[in-house]
Amino acid sequence: MRSEGRVEIRATNHRAPIPRCPMERCDFHLERGYIEGAGPQLRGAEVLPLDMADPQTQQGTAWAGFDNVVESVSKLPQDLFAEVCQQIMLYLQCKIPGVNTLEMVERLQAAGVELDLEATKELVHVISLFFRSAAQSNMSAEELIAKLADSSSKWSKQMLQVVRHVWTEQGKLIATPEDAKHMLTVGQLVDLEWKLGMAVSSDNCRSLNHPYVTMMLKVANPSGEIISRSFEMTIPQFQNLSKQFREVATVLEMV
Amino acid sequence: MAEQHSQSLSGLLSGLVQLIYYRNSGITEQMLKEQLYPDLPQQDFRILLEKMAGILRSIASADMDLNQLEAFLTAQTKKPNGITPEQATVLTKFWKSHKVKIRESLINQSKWENCLRNLSWRVDLKSQSRHLDQINTPVAIVEFELGKNNQESEFLCLELNEIKVNQLLNKLAEIEKSIGALSYIS
Repeated sequence: MRSEGRVEIRATNHRAPIPRCPMERCDFHLERGYIEGAGPQLRGAEVLPLDMADPQTQQGTAWAGFDNVVESVSKLPQDLFAEVCQQIMLYLQCKIPGVNTLEMVERLQAAGVELDLEATKELVHVISLFFRSAAQSNMSAEELIAKLADSSSKWSKQMLQVVRHVWTEQGKLIATPEDAKHMLTVGQLVDLEWKLGMAVSSDNCRSLNHPYVTMMLKVANPSGEIISRSFEMTIPQFQNLSKQFREVATVLEMV
Repeated sequence: MAEQHSQSLSGLLSGLVQLIYYRNSGITEQMLKEQLYPDLPQQDFRILLEKMAGILRSIASADMDLNQLEAFLTAQTKKPNGITPEQATVLTKFWKSHKVKIRESLINQSKWENCLRNLSWRVDLKSQSRHLDQINTPVAIVEFELGKNNQESEFLCLELNEIKVNQLLNKLAEIEKSIGALSYIS
């Protein structure tokens, strides 16, 4: 899998950019400071909605006492806390590949906040967890605030206000693991089998006379697992597919 | 008066198609009666409805072309309790304009496998890499959106280099050849 290096997009057909949630891009930009795998990681055909850094964390414990983190948060002025939350949201919405904690620590320390790298990492980690958890459970801002207040007595009104604001504005845009669940990792095509069929008749129609193409794709995941998927196309759909692939070939040649 | 009948019949046929083929739950027989044949006794309406439904089903099931349609409808006009020539005209006009859509819905009703909902792609070029041999290799990322009736889509994402794409194109050419042979036979 292309797990390192910078990539420029050279051409695309004019549909939505893919992958929808650039999970593989989470591996890129492993330059200084980005948290690796602080977001959804894909393993084979499964999606684990948990941090690579803490694979044991279950959703339930995300709400358990996080007094340390809340104490760290209380060291931040409101606007800086809002910035941190904003960064985390951008990451969870797959708009940036990761949260750069090194840069963040430098910024915080320049503003006079006494938090070291470890504490900052923990803060980002925990806040990401509870944002993602809230997205999965489809929580409203009020529900989220209530849960936070429950989890620790150290939340101040101002901090919760920030969370309420950020969540109300942007909570809906988070890509939840449910969205990601039906995505498989980028695989390698191992084999393509096909068949041209003719549907002669059906229970609804004596004279169906409908030709169709069935394709079976065998794909190897980065983990080595081979999966197969088959699908049917009408003749016009098949011809469109051919046309698209010819375009792909042309672009590959030109690049 | 005849014009009125034709229009009502046309409406009835449209409503029947919604009921039978497009499975539109918003339309009911009662609605059709009230809107199109308010003055017709209930019993007579039922008879008309069933007769037209039966004819429509036969036409659609046999996927009749215009010749077959003409022969079929002429035969219907000659039957006792058959249809009138005016009704035959309406039916002919109706089938001409709705044939394709009805056929499509029949085909879809018997499609139970995954179908290809969408295909997206992009071509990437690696400009920096730890592995020098991978620099400047263009690669295509293709995403297949697959799904069955009323189910959520599944996305299959593939990475293909130029060689793989060409191999794929060869296979697609084979399929196109087969399709060509098919048209030739039928």
